[in-house]
Parts: sequence; structure tokens; C-alpha cells
Amino acid sequence: MTVAPLAIALEGVEKRYPNGTLANSGVSFAVAAGEIHALVGENGAGKSTVMKMLYGLERPTAGALRIHGRPVDFRHPGDAIAAGVGLVAQHLNLVPSLTVAENVVLGHEPRRAGGRLDRAAAAARVRALAEQSGLAVDPAATVASLPVGVRQRVEILKVLHRGARILLLDEPTAVLTPPETATLFATLRQLAEAGRTILVITHKLDEVKALAGGVTVLCQGRVTGSARMAELDEGALSHLMVGRDLPPPPPRRTARTRPVPRVVARGLGYVDDDGAIRLRDVGFDVAPGEILGIAGVEGNGQDVLARLLSGAAIPSAGDARLDGRVFTGLSPRAVHALGVAVVTEDRLHDGAAPTLSILDNLLATRYARPPLSRRGLIDRGTARRWAQAVIDGFGVRAAGPDQPMGALSGGNMQKLILAREIADAPAFLVASQPTRGVDIAAASALQSRLAALRDQGAAILLISADLDELLALSDRIAVLYRGRIVARFAAGAVDAQTLGLHMTGLGPSLDGDDHDAVA
Amino acid sequence: MTPSREGARIALAVGAALALGFAVMACVSDQPWAAFRALLTGPLPSIERAADGRVVVHRLVRFGAWLQDATTLTLVGLAIAIPFRARQFSLGADGQLFMGALAAAAISLGLGDTPTALPLAFLAAAAAGAGWGLVAGLLKTRFEANEIVTTLMLNVVAVQVYRLVVGRVLNDPSAGFITTPPLPEAATLAPLIARTTVTAMVLVAPAAVAAALFLLRRTTLGYEIDLAGANPWFAVRAGVPVARATALAFALGGAFAGLAGFHVSNALLKRLPVDLTPGIGLEGIVVALLARGRVGALPLAALGYAYLRVGAQAMERATDVPREVVLVIQALIILFVVSDRLAPLALGLARRASARIGGRAA
Amino acid sequence: MSLDLVAAGTVATVVVAGTLRAATPIIFASLGGLISELAGCINVALEGVMLVAAFAGVITSAYSALWFPDAPLWLHPWLGCAAGLLAGTALAGLLAVFHLELGADLIVAGIGLNILAQGLTVLLMAHLTGDKGSTASLTSFALPNLRWPGMDGVPVLGVLLNGDGDAGHNVLVYGALAATGWVAWALRHTVFGLRLRAAGENAEAALAAGLPVKRLRYAGLLLSGLLASGGGVFLGMGYLTLFQADMAAGRGYLALAAVFLGGHRPLGTVAAALVFGGATVMAARLGLLAVPAEVVFMIPPLVTIAALVLVKQHQRLAARRRAAAGRATLLSS
Repeated sequence: MTVAPLAIALEGVEKRYPNGTLANSGVSFAVAAGEIHALVGENGAGKSTVMKMLYGLERPTAGALRIHGRPVDFRHPGDAIAAGVGLVAQHLNLVPSLTVAENVVLGHEPRRAGGRLDRAAAAARVRALAEQSGLAVDPAATVASLPVGVRQRVEILKVLHRGARILLLDEPTAVLTPPETATLFATLRQLAEAGRTILVITHKLDEVKALAGGVTVLCQGRVTGSARMAELDEGALSHLMVGRDLPPPPPRRTARTRPVPRVVARGLGYVDDDGAIRLRDVGFDVAPGEILGIAGVEGNGQDVLARLLSGAAIPSAGDARLDGRVFTGLSPRAVHALGVAVVTEDRLHDGAAPTLSILDNLLATRYARPPLSRRGLIDRGTARRWAQAVIDGFGVRAAGPDQPMGALSGGNMQKLILAREIADAPAFLVASQPTRGVDIAAASALQSRLAALRDQGAAILLISADLDELLALSDRIAVLYRGRIVARFAAGAVDAQTLGLHMTGLGPSLDGDDHDAVA
Repeated sequence: MTPSREGARIALAVGAALALGFAVMACVSDQPWAAFRALLTGPLPSIERAADGRVVVHRLVRFGAWLQDATTLTLVGLAIAIPFRARQFSLGADGQLFMGALAAAAISLGLGDTPTALPLAFLAAAAAGAGWGLVAGLLKTRFEANEIVTTLMLNVVAVQVYRLVVGRVLNDPSAGFITTPPLPEAATLAPLIARTTVTAMVLVAPAAVAAALFLLRRTTLGYEIDLAGANPWFAVRAGVPVARATALAFALGGAFAGLAGFHVSNALLKRLPVDLTPGIGLEGIVVALLARGRVGALPLAALGYAYLRVGAQAMERATDVPREVVLVIQALIILFVVSDRLAPLALGLARRASARIGGRAA
Repeated sequence: MSLDLVAAGTVATVVVAGTLRAATPIIFASLGGLISELAGCINVALEGVMLVAAFAGVITSAYSALWFPDAPLWLHPWLGCAAGLLAGTALAGLLAVFHLELGADLIVAGIGLNILAQGLTVLLMAHLTGDKGSTASLTSFALPNLRWPGMDGVPVLGVLLNGDGDAGHNVLVYGALAATGWVAWALRHTVFGLRLRAAGENAEAALAAGLPVKRLRYAGLLLSGLLASGGGVFLGMGYLTLFQADMAAGRGYLALAAVFLGGHRPLGTVAAALVFGGATVMAARLGLLAVPAEVVFMIPPLVTIAALVLVKQHQRLAARRRAAAGRATLLSS
């Protein structure tokens, strides 16, 4: 048996940030040349940091990297590029106002005399590369006008144009539609057959199975398993990926669903400023004491739906009612006053103010009325006591109400956000990705809180990318695909595989306009 | 960073700026030491025991000038610091001050020698400054117009409006230069200390700071301004009226700059010349910077900075060094204070140098 | 009739020629502001750069004549010009170091450098001439005018090409036109322009593409210093032939406004600079018509503000139209 030469080798790599956070520790694994290797693990497991070190965006604080057998010390992406390493980042790194060709050749531009950019040569090169790799693009198109799937192709072309022998891809399918994913996988296989080495980050089991020749699992910054796909059956693979006992299932529901819906949405549609239809004809009911789950691949309208229901955007069509009163199209504060609470998708962006104290963060939805303020004056004493009570009651690990929010872990931050939103015992809670990127214990605590709120009679819309979470918590599940609801299921009547099919547009489509098809 | 470390850092920056300023003075002056001494002791009154045993206080004028300058600087510092709480870079204190001064003078002249003239002039100045600030605020929140550009442009407009009104409407033809008539006595503030221009405004400045602190810390509007500055996206989602809070932050800052205008017109000059020099608004940036955006620290920063400015005037009168040297020192203070990586770099270099010296000695 | 037309044309061309002259310093500075802005660095120090350049140019040309009395006369202004460009660029370099190396906030550091320039120029002027107001006591030199031959008495065109009074335009007026062309061309057609824009628009993408983003920002700031220095040198050695305290008189800030007003495009920026220059000429003309100069001086800032508002309104209307079209599709389906 011949051993393929190693394209990538990490030996005991450690990354500690100046603030003391340990992102990786003792990470060792290897990828053979021509192999597609999957790097899997939960959010925050340190996968992206590994990628950044391989691409010179971060420097390891200990250990060694080898590329094609040679030890390397990348100080700058330029070093990595010179060594034949290319990165397709998770957040696509393109310059929107430039054309596809300009983006692809950026950094390695064909020139004419006088430092001029040779646009014709650039376009020709891009066209040739696109043909070779099966990545169809228009070199003259402006990147800003392209859909995300095409932008990703541009990103891959960029890497290929620099002659990369090793491609790093960070969650490439997160933003893709199923046909786009299929095209991407075909391209990656083709590239690997042509001798290129591919390291891809994912957390989807089926993608690992479909694509990879080898897999390495990271958990909390360390390698917890590494294997060749040929040696694994599916059970072993999922055990490897989970790597530990599953968290205890959240408590089952205790209250029976009452027949009268509390929230009724009909015909919700949304058109953005560019005239693109982001949501169309979305309707659903949620009864008190019920959790309706919304499944979908990121970018299929979940964010828009959450914004419409929280007053952050005005629907272009349709409305939603709470106990018969229309609450869409009102301001966020008015929506909140009617009893609608919202956990936003990205807590650092629009769910919290990391530089302000825990206290100031908790006040955000309650500061404008008694008991926390009267006639425009905030009662700091009452607010403080309440904040301390929240910290204690939710088991938040924090020094006190004055600690900056940003100093907390993701789980503790998310607990405080949920606490803030449910403090006024809302009639309806819209929870977007409530446990994304938090540790297992915190996720389980958060799910228990959601279940408790449901048991108190609140209606809950749970938007989550975590199918296990949806299946465990929801009474019913609706699937969003390209801005429409394409399938509805009762809990227990569906499994992750079926949901996955519908999420990728491959399931049989819904007939007619049956909002109330499932009780 | 902790306040004490921050304080040490600023002290270091000011010290370094003074040292470099001295180097510049040594280059352009024949008497650098005398000039430096005048700069650093200029604002202090000298107390002497005369031959007949009486205590005589000299140079009270400059001491008064110091307090009076600190008053103006505190108020324009507020005009910068409050919008900055909402993360807005307002450079509009100048225009707001001119509008405030103009409004105060116009009301004073219009009402004449009546008891209401003074309070109404005071309020008019605050309102005019606030209104001028609100324009920039609304341009930002309604039209996303870059506030640096709009406040600078509004400064130009305000100065021209001021010159137009002083030169053509409120002009006193009997004066030898273009100016308003002297303001009626009832509308002006009398000095608290004889032979100085120190008036009750010296107490208004700290009161204004206290009011601003109360507003920012204890009121819902203050909270809204802070939240809008810390994370506007979050604030919007939480239902906070971000646009209103941001616009009002400009207006609030403007009100204080307007009061600085009142200070200039009704306490200091008691009439408004057409060629009132713009630029004091930019000094507010230095003060806000020295206070590191902490509203409570503004009076201290203003006192420190006014001390330098008055010292520079004393130096100019006593020696061959023009007062513009203080501009150089001011610029260096700004640059050193704002350079976050400078202190660590300097300390690192010093450590390396001392290590090398130590190594050689060993 | 035709005589009237010629007269009207002459007045118009006098205004055009005057506008060009008044706009030249703003054009230079705004091109500088544009380049650094596109590189991702707002250059608030344009004002200080112009001051320092004007000062260094005037002083060097005067001292050049004192130090090299035997040198040909044409040498002194050019030495001054070189010194002015160098000094202004150095000030911009200082801004770059403070921002890129020492982590200073660009805007605050820019304001600091403007104050430094204001203080240093007056200080040195007082030291060298004993006068804090201007360098009138020194004999300094102007850069030469370029005159098109054979235009004497040619109506309209003669005034346009050789200015009012047939003295020709200062070489730096042509310099500003050339700089406009070069900047527009370089940003659009050179590899450097492409990289500069990429670094400014998405630094992370540029970094990932292996571009030296920091070096590009240095280049952007230094170039902006060089260009703005051209404007400063013109002020001291063309527009006037001496240095005055606070000579830039807010032109650096106007130039910054021109960049925003011009929508971050070279030709738009220069058009805005011309509007500002035109307002100065208008001030003089309207002064004759008894319109207060103060009112005229309000025109450039008010135009800037109005333009910022109108641009936004225009974008909003366009978005509303697109959304309405999308909504029609949504409702019809």
C-alpha cells in the first residue's frame, strides 16, 4: 500500500488569543494530497480558527503547520497564497462594486504597460478558468448584482486563479440552495480528481458522507476524533460527530393545545428595497401553549419573517393578528406593548449591546414604563435589584449587573436576552436561533425555559437551523423554502431526513392554500 | 481601561506634549526658559506683601481669564461629548455658539433694560444653539447625511448669518467698528471678582455638567442616547426611538454650545463685534478628548486646558514667543492622547532600551 | 447685436476663467480627499496640508533667492514648489503614521494635525519675519503663467485661454486639470487604482486576496497629501504671492465636502469643487450687485447640504420604485 504524500499536517497546534481565550489546543491531523477532508464540530469548536491559521490570518501560539511536507510559518495571507493555499471564507470576501473578473484577479492582475490593468486578459482568464472547473460566471458582471451562490463561485475562481493546490472552504453550503450545493460538490470532486486538496468545514452529517474521504472532529478546540470515511459506517460516524452523550431531551409538553389560535398570520409577503421578493404568502396559526417550529436553510426568509413579526419591517402584503388584533406594521415598541417578544437571530448584532452593562442590556425593552421608570426618570435602584434577580434566577454566571455584556459567554448572554424578552410574560414569543453557538448546558437550560413559557400558555414561533431542537420542542413544524411555506408537519409525524428534503426544495410541494391543514 | 490608568496615560501625553512644545520654543526663542515659565505660571495671581504690610494681589485679570475660558471650554466640551454618547462626531459647536450669542444679543437689545432680559436671553441662547444642533441631527437621522460634513458646513452658514445680522441689522453706526450696540446693563452679568470677567457663568458651567450627567444617567432619554450609540441595530429592534434620541443628542449638545455663546455675548464682551473669531468649537474637541468622553471629567479637562491657553497669552506678552505655540502643544496633546498604541509602544521601547543598558552593564 | 453677444460671451468667459482659478486649490485638495477616502481613510487634515505646503513653498522660494543670489530667477519658485509638495506630503505621512501605526482615530488626528499646521506656520512665520499676519516683508515668487500665443484680441476664446487681462493661467491651474485626468484614469484603469479601491471598500477581502492593505492606505494618504499640497502651493505661489496666517481658510473642509457631494467619483468631486470655486467668483460679482457677500458665502455650504439630502431622496425614490414593482409581482402571483 502506498501512502499518499501529506498536503496538510498540523502537529500539536495551539492558538491562544491575547485576551486569554484558548481557541485551539493540541490540534493534530493530516490530509493527503488529492483528498477531500471534512472538519466538523459545533459552533465555537475552533474550526474557523484552524482555517485562519492555515491561511495566515492567525498565527498559532504553539505547534507546527506543514504544507506539502514543509514546515511553514504564515504571517500574512500572502505567505499562504505563495505556498498554494486558498481560502473560501464563510462570509464571502468580495468587493461588491468591482466586476467578477476584477475580483478574481485582484492581487494577481494581468498588466499592460504603465501599470494598466489588462481587462481583456483578466476576462479571458476568468472565462478559461470557469470552463475548466465548471463554474459558470459572467466576467463582466458586477459582484453586487449576483446571487450568493454565484458569488461563491467567484470566490472559488479567485482561489484557483492564484494557483492554489489546497482549498480551504468554511461552511460553503450554509447559504446555498440544493441545486447550488449539488453543483458545488461536483466541482469540488472534479478539483480533487485533478489533484487538488480540499479541506471543508461543515456540521452536516450528510455532507460529510456525500463528499469527504476523511473526517476530523473538533470539540472545544481539541481533536476528539479523526477517521477515514471508508472505515466508518453511518452509526460510527454519527457517534464520532456527536462524540459524547446527547443532552437530555427538553421536558415534554404538559399542557394540551387549546383549539383557538392566539396568533393568526395570513398571506404575509415582503419585498425588499431592491425589489426582490423575500417572503410570499406565508400563513400560520399558533395556539396558546403551542410551539410552531420553522425549519429552513439559512436565507430562505426566516430572518424576514422574524422582522415582520417584531415590527422591524412592514409587510408588503398580508398581516398577522394576536388575539384578533393586527400587530404587523406597527413599531417595535407598539408590537412589544401588545405582548409580542423577540429573540433576534444574531445576538451580538441586534440582540445586545456588548459594550454596555448587563443592567443596561436588560433595561432595553422595559426602561420606558413603570416600575423601572416614571415620568422619564429611571429608577436605578429598582432596575438594579431586578437585574440581580434575573442573573440569579436564570443561573447566569456573571460578576454582577455592572459587568459589560460582552464579557459573558454566548450561553450566559443568550440567557439574559431570553430573560429580558420573557420578563413581561409575553403572549407570543418569536425565538430565532435561540441556542445557536451556545454550550450544551446553556442550550438545554434555554430550551427548558422555552418549554416552561409554553406551559404557561404563551404561543411560540421557534425558528431554528438545529433540526434536533425543532423536532424535540415543536408541536408542529413548517418548512420555509425560498420565502414560501412548502411543507407542514405535526411533531412526531416527521423526521430530520424528510425535513431536510423539503428544506432543500426536493419534497413534494404543498397543494393549495391550506393554512390550517394540520391541527 | 481603569480611570486611574487612563488618567496616568493622559498625564503622560500632556507631559510629552509640553516637553516637545518646549523644544519648539527653544528653536524659535532667545529666552525659552522665561517663556516656558510664563506659560506654566501665567494664569496664577501673585500675592505679595507690600512694604506697608498690606497683602496685594497682582495679575487677577489673568486668573479671571483662566476661569472664564474654562467656563466656555466646559460648555463647548459638552456640545461635543453629548452627541458622542450617541456615537455622533459633531464638529458643530462653533456654529451653535455663534447662533447662541446672536440670539442672546438680539433678545437683550430687543428687550432693553428690563429684568426679564437676562433670563430670556439665556434661554434664547440655549434654544438657538439647540435648534442649530437639531438641524444637523435631523439631517443625519432623516437623510443619513454625514454629520462631520454637515456640521462643518452649518458652521460656515452660522458664521455668515452672524456677520450678516451683526453687520446689517444690529449694527451700531456710532461705534468706530462694525459691532452691535453695547447690551443693556440689565441683560448682562456683573463680574463676581473685581477687575475680572468672571461672572455667575463660572457657576453655570459646573451646573450644566451636573445637569448633563443627571440627564444621561437618570433619564430615559439619556439611556436612549447611550443605547443608540452603543448598538443602534439592537436599540431599534428593542423598540428604542433611535432616530429621535440621536437627533436630540445633537440638540442637547447645541444647547450647551448656545450657552457658551450667551457667555461670550452677555458676560464677556457685552456687545458682539462682527469679527468674533470662530474656532473655539474645535477646542471643545480637545476638552472632550482630554476628558475621554466622561462628562463628569469635563470641568477638570477644561480647567487644565484653559490654564495652558491663558498661560500662552501671558507668555506672548512677556516674551518673544507667540501664543500660537500653544496650538502646537494642543495639537500634540490631541495626537498623543488619541494614539492608543503610543504608550505601550513607548513603554516597550523604554523597556528594551533599559534591558540593553542592563545587559551591557552585566 | 453680435457685439452684445461677444460682450456677454466675454463676461461669461471671465467668470469661467475666474472660477477655474478660484477652484484650483479646492480641486487639488478634493482629489486628494477622494483618493484617501477611496483607500478607506477620511483625510480631515487636507486643510493643514494646504497650509503647510503654502508656507513651505513661499518661504523656500524667498530663501532660495537669498541663498542662491546667482541662480536663475526661474529656479526659486520651482524649488519652493518642490519644498511645498514635500512638506505637505510629510504632514499627510504623519497622519498615516498616527493612524496606521499608533492606532489614532483618523478624524481626531486629522483635526489635531490641522491645529498643528496652523500653530507651526504662524510660529515659524513670526520667527522668520517678525510678523504674525503674512510674509509680505519677504520677496517670494510665483510659479509662472502659461500663455497661449497669438490670442491677443481674439474674443471669448482669448479670455478663456489666457484669462482676464491676457496674462495666461498659472501653471498649477493646468496642473489641477491634469491631476483630475490622471486621478480619474488611474482609479479606473490601473492595477494600483483597482487595489486601492478594493482595500478601501472591503479591507478584509483585499487582505484575503494577499494585498498589502496597510501599504495601500499609506499610499492613499501620502498621495492625498501630495495632491492637496498642490492646492496649497497654488495658494501661496499663484493665487497670491505670499503666505498669510490661516491661508487655506476652510478650503480643505470644503474639499472634503466636495468628495461627498461628488458621490466619491473623480469627475463628480471636481464638479463640486468647481461649484465651490464658482461661489467665490459669484461673491465678488454679486457684491457689485449689492447682494451681501455673507449671503454668497453661504451658498457652497448650503449647496452641499442640499445635495446630500437630494442624493438620499433620489436613492430612496429609486428603492421605492423597485419595491413597488416587486410588490406588484408579489400581489399578482
